[in-house]
Amino acid sequence: MTAVRMRGVVKRYGGFTALDDVNLELRENTVHGLLGRNGAGKTTIMQILTGQGFETAGEVEVFGLHPYENPTVLDRVCFIREAQKYPDSFRVRDALSAAAMLYPNWDADLAASLVEEFHLRTRQTIKKLSRGQLSAVGVIIGLASRAPLTFFDEPYLGLDAVARQLFYDRLLTDYAAHPRTIVLSTHLIDEVSDLIEHVVVIDKGRILMDEDADVLRGRAVTVTGPAAAVKAFAAGHTELHREELGGFLRVTLEGADPDTRLRSEGLEFEPVSLQQLVVRTTQLATEPRRENHDGREVAAR
Amino acid sequence: MTAAPHLAPSALHTPGRRRRPLAVARMQLINLPVQLGMPWLILALAFAINLVIFALVPDPPAGEPKVTGGLLSIYIFVVVAHLVTMTQVFPFALGLSVTRRDFFTGTALFVLAQAAVQGLLLTLLLVLEEATGGWGMGLHFFGVPFLVQQNWVLQWLVYTVPFLLFSFVSILAGTIYKRFGQLGMWTASIGLLLAGGIAAVLLTWQQAWPAVGRFFSDTPAAVLFAGYPAVLAALAAGVAYLFLRRATV
Repeated sequence: MTAVRMRGVVKRYGGFTALDDVNLELRENTVHGLLGRNGAGKTTIMQILTGQGFETAGEVEVFGLHPYENPTVLDRVCFIREAQKYPDSFRVRDALSAAAMLYPNWDADLAASLVEEFHLRTRQTIKKLSRGQLSAVGVIIGLASRAPLTFFDEPYLGLDAVARQLFYDRLLTDYAAHPRTIVLSTHLIDEVSDLIEHVVVIDKGRILMDEDADVLRGRAVTVTGPAAAVKAFAAGHTELHREELGGFLRVTLEGADPDTRLRSEGLEFEPVSLQQLVVRTTQLATEPRRENHDGREVAAR
Repeated sequence: MTAAPHLAPSALHTPGRRRRPLAVARMQLINLPVQLGMPWLILALAFAINLVIFALVPDPPAGEPKVTGGLLSIYIFVVVAHLVTMTQVFPFALGLSVTRRDFFTGTALFVLAQAAVQGLLLTLLLVLEEATGGWGMGLHFFGVPFLVQQNWVLQWLVYTVPFLLFSFVSILAGTIYKRFGQLGMWTASIGLLLAGGIAAVLLTWQQAWPAVGRFFSDTPAAVLFAGYPAVLAALAAGVAYLFLRRATV
C-alpha cells in the first residue's frame, strides 16, 4: 500500500521554484529517509503532505486523499519540525497534554518514559528549555503520537550524541512493535543509515534518487591504487568521485563489482557508505562536468 | 507481568475527529491562568487603586457621579490574549495536525465561553456594587453610567458582546499578520487610517458631525454596546476565517 503519492508537484514562491516536477511514492509501514542539502525542498514537501503548505501545481495524495484541511488524513499524520513553535506560557506537560488530546493513538506511558530518558522536567516552561531539550519535546510527541504517518524534520538539533542514539533506538523499537510509515529528514545520514529502508534524495527541488537502501548499499564502490590500474578498472563505469595524490588514484564508481583478484595489482576496494553515495551523487548533479576531468582533480579537501 | 501490555490504543479510542474543536478550546484552557487569571488580577488591581484614590480625594460637587474607566483594562486584555492565540497557539496547533477549520471553530467556542463568563462576572459585580451603594462611597466602577441597563439580561449582553468584538477584531488582526505578514499589517493599518480620515473629511464637509453625535446619543445603549458590536464581531470573525483558510505558519 502507498501512504504518500505526489505527481508532477510544483511549488513556486514568487519567482523561486522550490519544487520542480516532483514525483514520489512512499510505501506504507516503511522508514523513509528524505535526504538533501539545506534548501533542497525537504521541508516544503513535508509541509505540502501535511496540509500546512500549498502546492502550486500537481497531484498530492496522503492515504488516498488530499491532506489540505482534511481531518480524516490529518488525524493519522504527525509532523515534527525542527522549528515547531510552542506558546510562550506552555510548560512541557502542557504541550504533551495538548498532543494527547489531538492524536488518537497517543501512548501516555511511552511519553512518560521518554520524558524520563531525555531528562526533561514536565513543569519546566518550554521557552526556557535548551535547544536540545526543545528538540526532545518534539521527538517525544512524534514517537508517542504513534501516527500512521510520522514526519521528523531534522528532529535532533542540539541533541547530544547519546540523546540522538536514544531517539534512534526508541524509534526502531517502537516501529517494530507498532509498524507505521516514518519519514526522516536528516543531514546525519551515517547515523540513520541502518534505520532507513528507503532513500529519497532531493536537490534543488528535484528528486535525484529514489531507491531502497539495500539496493543503494551495493551500488557504489571505492577503488584505490596505482593510477594506471585504477583507470583500467574504472573504464566503462560511472565515476562519482575522483581524488588523486601522487601516482595514486582513488575513485568512487557506480555499478562496479569489487574484483578481489586485482589486489595483486595493488587495487583496494572499500564499500561506500550511504552518506558518501548521497554526497557524491548530489555533487555530480551539481557539477556534471566533473566526471570528464582527467587527473586534474586535487584531493577534495 | 500482565499479558499483552501493548494492546493497540487505537482500538480503544475513537478517532477524535468531532472532538477536535473542543480539544482546541481545551488547549486554550491550558492557558487559563493567562487567559482568565491575569485579566482579573489586573482588573482587581485597577479596582483597588480606584477605591483608594476615591477614598482620598474630596467628594465631587453634589450630583456628579464618581466614575472611572478602569473597567476598560479587562477589554484591552482580551485583545492582547487573542493576538497570542493567533501568533503562538495557531502555529502550535497547525503543527499538531489540527485543520484551520477546527482551530477556528475551537477558538470561536472558547471566545464565546470566555465572553459569556466574564460578562456574567461583571454583571454579578455590578449587582454587588449597587447593593453596597458603590462600595460604600458611591463609586461607579462596574456601573459606568451609560452602560447600566434596567434589565439584567440586557446588562449581561452589554458587558459580554464587547468582549466578542474585541476578541474577534484581535483574531482578525493576528490572522492578517499570519497570512500576509508585516506588509499586510501595514496595509490594513494604513487602509483603516485612510478610511477614517476620508470619513472625517466627508463628515466635516457635509457638516454632518451633529448627526453623528445624535446617532450616539439617540441610539439605546443596548443597541450601541450589544447590537452593533455583535454584527461587527460576526463580520470580523467571518473575514478572519476566510484569511485563515490559506494562512501558513
